[in-house]
Amino acid sequence: MEYIVQTQNLSKSFGKEQAVSNLNLQIRKGEIYGFLGPNGAGKTTTIRMLLGLMKPSSGTIKIFEKNITKDRIQILAKIGSLVENPSYYPHLTAYENLEALRKILGVSKTRIDEVLEIVRLKEVAHKKVKGFSLGMKQRLGIAASLLHSPELLILDEPTNGLDPSGIIEIRNLIKRLPEEYGMTIIISSHLLSEIDQMATQVGIVSKGKLIFQDSIEAMRRFAQPKVTFKVNNGEKGWRFLLANGIKADYQNGVIFLEECSDEKVAHIVQVLVQEGISVFRVEEEKRSLEDIFLQMTMGEQGK
Amino acid sequence: MIALLQAEWFKLRKSKMVPIILAGPMIGLFIGLSANLEDNMQGIEINEWYISLFSMNLTYALLFLPLISGVFTSIICRYEHQSGGWKQLLALPVTRGKVFVAKYILIMLLVLAMQILYLGSIFAVGIVKGYTDSFPMEIVWKSIVGGWVATLPLVALQLWLSIMFKSFAAPFAVNVIFTLPSILAVNSERIGPYYPWAQPFSMMYIGGNTDDVFFVPWEQVLTVVGGGFILFFLGGYYYFQRKSI
Repeated sequence: MEYIVQTQNLSKSFGKEQAVSNLNLQIRKGEIYGFLGPNGAGKTTTIRMLLGLMKPSSGTIKIFEKNITKDRIQILAKIGSLVENPSYYPHLTAYENLEALRKILGVSKTRIDEVLEIVRLKEVAHKKVKGFSLGMKQRLGIAASLLHSPELLILDEPTNGLDPSGIIEIRNLIKRLPEEYGMTIIISSHLLSEIDQMATQVGIVSKGKLIFQDSIEAMRRFAQPKVTFKVNNGEKGWRFLLANGIKADYQNGVIFLEECSDEKVAHIVQVLVQEGISVFRVEEEKRSLEDIFLQMTMGEQGK
Repeated sequence: MIALLQAEWFKLRKSKMVPIILAGPMIGLFIGLSANLEDNMQGIEINEWYISLFSMNLTYALLFLPLISGVFTSIICRYEHQSGGWKQLLALPVTRGKVFVAKYILIMLLVLAMQILYLGSIFAVGIVKGYTDSFPMEIVWKSIVGGWVATLPLVALQLWLSIMFKSFAAPFAVNVIFTLPSILAVNSERIGPYYPWAQPFSMMYIGGNTDDVFFVPWEQVLTVVGGGFILFFLGGYYYFQRKSI
């Protein structure tokens, strides 16, 4: 399997504090990889190491199957990035900002107009960036990262500070890129809803550790609804169910089942009633992805 | 490398540094025009051009040349510090070494431009005062180029400090702290030749030994200026290589 980005036991510590520990990222071509975690979980530190802005304390990073410490220049030539807060030169206009980068990247001048068009900053192209709103600066940063049509786009919290329409616009843009240009995208966020709507693959970090890495579908499976039964004698009812070959769980006086079809619910109620147990309530408890995310990261923090 | 220099020049060009580059030569011009050393020097056999240079060099070479070259380095790093410029620049396919060298070369070219403008000031003073002596070409070589060479180590140290400190004031303060004592140092025969911040003045001072390539002995150029340059340049270079952005 060919990975565009692969890290092995990537770790970084600042003094005694372990910011990132033993991270094994695996990102395939054409994916939108959602890099998710609460603030301060080590997302930006990881991204800085991927870009060679910071040296890892230990572990290796391979991008395009090359080692970042050895072939940094070749790798970076194919990466577009936006790290943390948008970077810009306040004394230059939007157009001049891109021009300063264009000279180094050596792409044609028409690309500047193209990327400004993509992020819809054409009208303000010749205004100083100093006066831009955060959303406009963010879009300029995205424009800059697209300038040399990179194969891998690394966006750190790209929708920070954008208004709802701006978020939708950027989201649609990001979704389009892998299809139209074959780009691979790493997008970090602390908001699950954000990732949920774009990503095909998810990696969750908490306290510097990767606690989940799989497809978004796999993560959604965690979010299956749960059916709970409130009865007058929970424990007795639960034993009857087990005796009848129905796998159920019992906790705090409540019987609950995961993945429960309508027929199964009907059958369970029938069994319980037949055994003379009063059924008070049958409820479906929906767990959102947000709950799962919280549960995952909280569990890690509780340790 | 050329692309990097072009990009640096583009960013610097837009950052209002024209008044700064003019400040030194303009002050030299005013001092040259207002000084009246000619009256005191009557009877002494000396090229007229040198007379105004004595007073002009004093403030220009002693203060403005080292201070303004420090301001250039602060400006060239300031816009990188302001809003995440470093991380954007260094995430591009460039090496840190090349970025450092490109910035250094650009500052030295600016200092050279300032030196040439100062030469223009010298010339303007002579024309206004109606000097009839032939223009001493050795000023161009010894004083202008010599002063430029003397800033090599100072600019290297300033670039190091400007990359290290986010604030505009900190490297400038260090520069002032080292530059002001050179007023005393140049008067001392013992410390003067070894004090790097006094070298711009020593190398532009016309009264020096005229047999050498510059106005100061060749050994002094090599050890103090050359040694200082190697020390500060390598120090800044390696600091930048290791810095976490």
